[in-house]
Amino acid sequence: MNKYELGIVDTRNIIKTLQDVYNYDFKNYALTFFKRRVEKVIQKYALKDADGFIKKIELEKEFFELFLKEICVDTTEMFRDPALWRILNDDMLTKLVNSTSNFKIWFPEVSTGEELFSISIILRKLNLLDKVSFIVSSVSEINLENIKNGYFDPKKIETNDVNFKRIYSESNLSDFYSFDGEKAQWDTSLIKNTKFIKQNIIFDDYPKGVRLILFRNHMIYYNQILQERFIKILYNCLIPAGHLIIGNNEKIEYWNSDKDYTLVNKSESIYKKKLS
Amino acid sequence: MYKAVVIGGSAGSFQVITKILSSLPKDFPLPVLLSLHRLKHVRSGFVEALSIKSKIPIVEPYDKETIKPGRGYLAPSNYHMYVELNKRIALSTEEPVNHSRPSIDLTFETAAQAYRDKIIGIILSGANRDGAHGLKKLKQLGGTAIVQDPNECQVRTMTEASLKLTSVDHIFTTQQIINFLLKLK
Repeated sequence: MNKYELGIVDTRNIIKTLQDVYNYDFKNYALTFFKRRVEKVIQKYALKDADGFIKKIELEKEFFELFLKEICVDTTEMFRDPALWRILNDDMLTKLVNSTSNFKIWFPEVSTGEELFSISIILRKLNLLDKVSFIVSSVSEINLENIKNGYFDPKKIETNDVNFKRIYSESNLSDFYSFDGEKAQWDTSLIKNTKFIKQNIIFDDYPKGVRLILFRNHMIYYNQILQERFIKILYNCLIPAGHLIIGNNEKIEYWNSDKDYTLVNKSESIYKKKLS
Repeated sequence: MYKAVVIGGSAGSFQVITKILSSLPKDFPLPVLLSLHRLKHVRSGFVEALSIKSKIPIVEPYDKETIKPGRGYLAPSNYHMYVELNKRIALSTEEPVNHSRPSIDLTFETAAQAYRDKIIGIILSGANRDGAHGLKKLKQLGGTAIVQDPNECQVRTMTEASLKLTSVDHIFTTQQIINFLLKLK
């Protein structure tokens, strides 16, 4: 197993190319992560080295789109961390959604959409889905298309089904997807109230009046500068007392951040925007 | 002088880790990075179990947490744990490597890149081959490679896979590993 290894100078050159040619600024991605993702792409497409990568991406817009898909890390599975989904199901969603006529949930960066479908299934089971609208943004057009069509990797079916049973022991996840032996597809009526937004790394335009943001395990791929920039944008999008949920081992921590957010559940990293 | 210790273990390594941690003094001068295979759906309990006998604090780090001496950093369940070049922890949900997340290979490789010749890597008992490539990388970058004596391991696959790929600095029993670490004080 001889893995191709990208040097720091090559990595910087690639970042510069992406900035110059496509105006995507990856310099505040976590460096080791970005380097590893590019190495993976170089290997997958047999590009030999950094120069091969740069040449191809300069010439082919389609390859740039493929790269954007590869840079997004797969959400891994439905109902990752069952404890969180149980809290949403048992304690949070009914109360929150019933308090308003337009409950907006935003997913600022999706890759394979498992969190969107997980929450939409919970909402349908609670008979609340019609009162909710989703906003889904991603740097990857390909990912957005796959989510719109409800496609997912059939290899995940087994894990997904097991996770679902941890929350709903009496019913089956297969009520919400179809699988013909080849293609697995979610019931897309689950996401009929969804607005899809293709974005650059930092948003050109972002939603207002959002009541819940799910942004789990995305900031781990950014450095602290980009993490803080994101958190501040999310803050501006949330209504006062709106909730932000990030990954279990992520934390909101910048100067004076406790003036902006209250941590309401530590083990599941659920934050609430303070009333200013 | 050394700046970090990284330990990888799987099946049969829990008691060895516990013994090592219970032998390290409170003021152990290095951080100890622990990449151990664990059940992905059991998030709590492991760090507590390791903490019972350990004199150094053991944490499941937050993303981008700064690595400090005299602390143990346990890779959280269902995440890879990397070391960034600026000596901070980075977590990741990227695809499992050799069916493992955390992947011992990935923790070792990135820790080796961050600490170069200032790191000690230790592979313990385990039932697969994870860690072998990571230890090789660590040795190539000048680190010190130690493997638990396969004869002492509950499951010897992992240590034997490492020995096959790398000519290591030491093959040690648990007690010898402890003695080696205590001399660093």
